[in-house]
Amino acid sequence: MRRTGRTGRAALLVVAALVVAGCSTAPSSSTALSAQGLTQADDGWYGLPLTVERSLPDVTLTTTSGRPFRLDTELAGGPTLLFFGYSSCPDICPVHLASIASAMEQTRTRYDQVRVVFVSVDPARDTPERIDTFLDHFDDRMIGLHAALPVVEEALTQLDLPGPIVEGPDPRGEGDLIGHPAQVIGFDAEGRARRVWPFGTRRSDWVADLPRIVADWSA
Amino acid sequence: MNVAWWCSSNPGQVWTWRYTPFVGVWLAAAALLGLYLGAHRRAGRPVDPRLLRRWVAGVAVMAVVSEWPLGALGAGYLATVGIGRYIALTFVVAPLLLSAIPTWLLDRWLPHGSARWTATRWLTRWPVALLVFNAVLFGTHLPVAIDTLKVYQVGSFAVDAAHLLAGLVWWFPAMRREADRGAIREPLRAFYLFASSILMFVPATFLAFSPLPLYGLYELAPPLWLGFDPVRDQQLAGVLMNVVGGLALWTVIAIGFMRWARAEERADLEARRAAGRSAAG
Repeated sequence: MRRTGRTGRAALLVVAALVVAGCSTAPSSSTALSAQGLTQADDGWYGLPLTVERSLPDVTLTTTSGRPFRLDTELAGGPTLLFFGYSSCPDICPVHLASIASAMEQTRTRYDQVRVVFVSVDPARDTPERIDTFLDHFDDRMIGLHAALPVVEEALTQLDLPGPIVEGPDPRGEGDLIGHPAQVIGFDAEGRARRVWPFGTRRSDWVADLPRIVADWSA
Repeated sequence: MNVAWWCSSNPGQVWTWRYTPFVGVWLAAAALLGLYLGAHRRAGRPVDPRLLRRWVAGVAVMAVVSEWPLGALGAGYLATVGIGRYIALTFVVAPLLLSAIPTWLLDRWLPHGSARWTATRWLTRWPVALLVFNAVLFGTHLPVAIDTLKVYQVGSFAVDAAHLLAGLVWWFPAMRREADRGAIREPLRAFYLFASSILMFVPATFLAFSPLPLYGLYELAPPLWLGFDPVRDQQLAGVLMNVVGGLALWTVIAIGFMRWARAEERADLEARRAAGRSAAG
């Protein structure tokens, strides 16, 4: 009888422990699964090399101050990191931009040495003011661009990337979440796409790659 | 290499301040309370209200740090909260639970001569306990351990369980009074606690002074607010471990040492009085 009681108590504890484990709070997301970061290749880079030839798209967007900005001509002459995102993005966009801003600061890379360009994929919500406010959280020297959705889609198409997709309501109650490519694309001074940094790139990866970008990709 | 090429609503668990209850936490808390009260009832012993308060407080703190929002924040969003939970489980929950167990109940749960008794006796010898505690402290705060284990729910639970168990093992010789169960006394006790407080500075210093985020888990987690910096979070976690963890330990050391010094002084006085009386007689 006593043995049964002990067994019952033990079973109860085990069940409770398993329930706790089942309801535990660790994110089972690819955000968390990306935690290992990139692997350094034999050539020393963390960013992944592109196997196909792509160039800066010849599309004209608009800066947050209202000036037309043609990607292929305005960005020629120096290395560029290009990222498509939106200011309401809850995870990947702010993490990417924060990592780049912090690594730029840590490696003392100037924004005229490596241009960091953010193109909004959410023209409905991303007003110029909103893009500026968003980028100010990371570094106000980042270049914010916007355009009508077909123009943004054309830029993505030229880079062989899929266009943005509305994926449903944001659990924070801030409208819809928008799916979009998660990689940062690196272009050299001649506008050729050289490498990409998918989400999962860590600050330490950028700290290693930024000096190489300046050294190898500048005019 | 695990990376994401598509930014989607699925990849990240977007943080919201909407209450999300973890039923398992409340079930575990109820099971622990039931275990304690049931053991008293079965033994026909009255519940000591002072000890019950400690047990309830230990269970309550455990539930609070495991429930939303602290449980979720510490498991996947903020290193500061992760370290805070470690401190709570190790330096608050473990000693509260351990000090709430009367000797007769300990004898019931770990009967002399049983396998459990032998295992506990071995694990709670102070050099072994010191080793176990610090192995868990260092092991579970290594970036590879956090980034491998805490990305899974079961792994996260295992880390919490390891912290609590290591805390119980470590506090056992310092808190229990039963000499036959390896209890230690001052000044060894003070040294034992002091040694751990010093070793704790090692991971805390790495956290506080690393210029880069050590844990990918927290670095790549959806930020709670725009402009959130994982390095600042990590620095705060290191300070928390150093200041709060160290302060808690040094307070315990100081209190224990002062009690011991007073007892020694009283014993010395008594001995001198006795010697004086016998000399006068």
